[in-house]
Amino acid sequence: MFKPLASMLLQIVVVLLAAPLLSGIIKKMKAMIQHRKGAPILQLYFDLFKLFRKDVVISETASWIFTAAPYIYFVSVLGAIIFVPVIPQLFSYGFFGDAILVVYLLALSRFFLTLAALDTGSTFGGMGSSREMVISSLMEPSLIIVVFTLAASPRVQSTGFQAMYEGSAELGSGIISPVYLLLLAAVVIVLIAETARIPVDDPATHLELTMVHEAMILEYSGRYLALMEYGSALKQLLFISIIVNIFMPFGLGGGIIVTLLLYLLKICIVAVVVGLIEINTVKFRLFSVPNLAAMSLMLALLGFMSGFIFGR
Amino acid sequence: MELSYILRICSMTILISSFALVASKRVMTYIRAFRLQSALLAAIAAIFTVYHLVEEGRLEGVAFILLLTVVLKVFYIPSLLRKISLKVEYKVEKDFFVNIPISIIICCGLVVLNWFVVSKIPELNGTPGGNYLVQSLSVVLIGLFFMISRKKAIGQIIGFLVIENGMFLTAMLMTSGMPMIVEFGIFFDLLTAVLIMGIFVFRINETFEHIDINKLRNLRG
Repeated sequence: MFKPLASMLLQIVVVLLAAPLLSGIIKKMKAMIQHRKGAPILQLYFDLFKLFRKDVVISETASWIFTAAPYIYFVSVLGAIIFVPVIPQLFSYGFFGDAILVVYLLALSRFFLTLAALDTGSTFGGMGSSREMVISSLMEPSLIIVVFTLAASPRVQSTGFQAMYEGSAELGSGIISPVYLLLLAAVVIVLIAETARIPVDDPATHLELTMVHEAMILEYSGRYLALMEYGSALKQLLFISIIVNIFMPFGLGGGIIVTLLLYLLKICIVAVVVGLIEINTVKFRLFSVPNLAAMSLMLALLGFMSGFIFGR
Repeated sequence: MELSYILRICSMTILISSFALVASKRVMTYIRAFRLQSALLAAIAAIFTVYHLVEEGRLEGVAFILLLTVVLKVFYIPSLLRKISLKVEYKVEKDFFVNIPISIIICCGLVVLNWFVVSKIPELNGTPGGNYLVQSLSVVLIGLFFMISRKKAIGQIIGFLVIENGMFLTAMLMTSGMPMIVEFGIFFDLLTAVLIMGIFVFRINETFEHIDINKLRNLRG
């Protein structure tokens, strides 16, 4: 009874602490490469702390959805991340959640995010939600194909994350195979699109023509904004955790502390890679995003094919 | 790690680079994608060279091919095409007949088709050779598709070069390299073909004032 509770608490504490740090690292790295000094790495913590204490301003036309959405968004993302432990040792919950549940918990959070953006009736909100829905519906097929490919591989045979982690860990250095490389490339594209990173959406802009995620949370202030920002940071950490644990299963054998430190190192590496991609690409036109989605879908599909029709 | 394992990954990256080529919209981008593909091809040739040197202690055949690939395909031809495309003024806004997501899906279909065709050959089924054959034949077919789906004459040249890359890959992976004399022949054929086509692009541009192949059907006195 005690151990599942403790590991879940540890999981929640780790993700809540690590998520803003990850955003900070990406921002700092971008700034350093552009020869700027940049905000401190801990900036998002300060911002969140400040926002949680500030007053909330709500539009007169807003309904209850507007006030409920931040909580639903935050809680459903947090709920999703509980099923994706940061290290395999934390798999000892009394209950069982699989990858499909995680994907659709994220879909639930997105649904309320877009609904809340539509609620106040501002033009930017509507524009942002319609774009977000287009992008997410384009990215969902490739994510699902990746999940199914991982789940159906002979070592795993389950859609649960525990089996997937164990399957990857068993594979060891055999993870550097065409199948996993293709799936990794597909997941990285999904990560970029889902977490509103540069080729798809610019997290640092409020230019009305280009923003997607920012347009949706434009009306929020105070603690609601803090919850939205925190939720987005958590979502980013969730995708990076999946990448780190399934595609980089190295050195998972040690104790909890060592593995946790190694995990932090790995997510920092992924953050640096994401930052590098951001610096080296320009933001796509919205109508070019389907090209990226087609690429991701193709990579996932080829991974699936080379895993099952040929090879193995 | 064993050789066939590394080669599998390399040939898969070459296949992906030809998808990157299909996904690119501008001339400069696909010249860059072609250069990347040739560099990957050179990497495979380098692996074979090292393998021959270590296993058999001889340095011939593949080493020359490696040198030629690096000099011609990675440096000379891309820079030549770059120069041509900078000099020729484009009047074509949209370069492709089929839009990019659909062409990526068509290319994916080509790979699947290859998979099914190769799996019908019992000797190759499930062996690394069959895997290489699928990937390298797919590169050839994607080059062919690239050639027919682009409007600009430079796109056609790149498509032709990608077909050649694919055949080169097939030869190298399936038989660990053709005889050197054949390779030389192919390379010089390729070089003259690219030079002639480059001059052709200039002439077309002078005569018709654009290089949109779609409009070349009209007669000019």
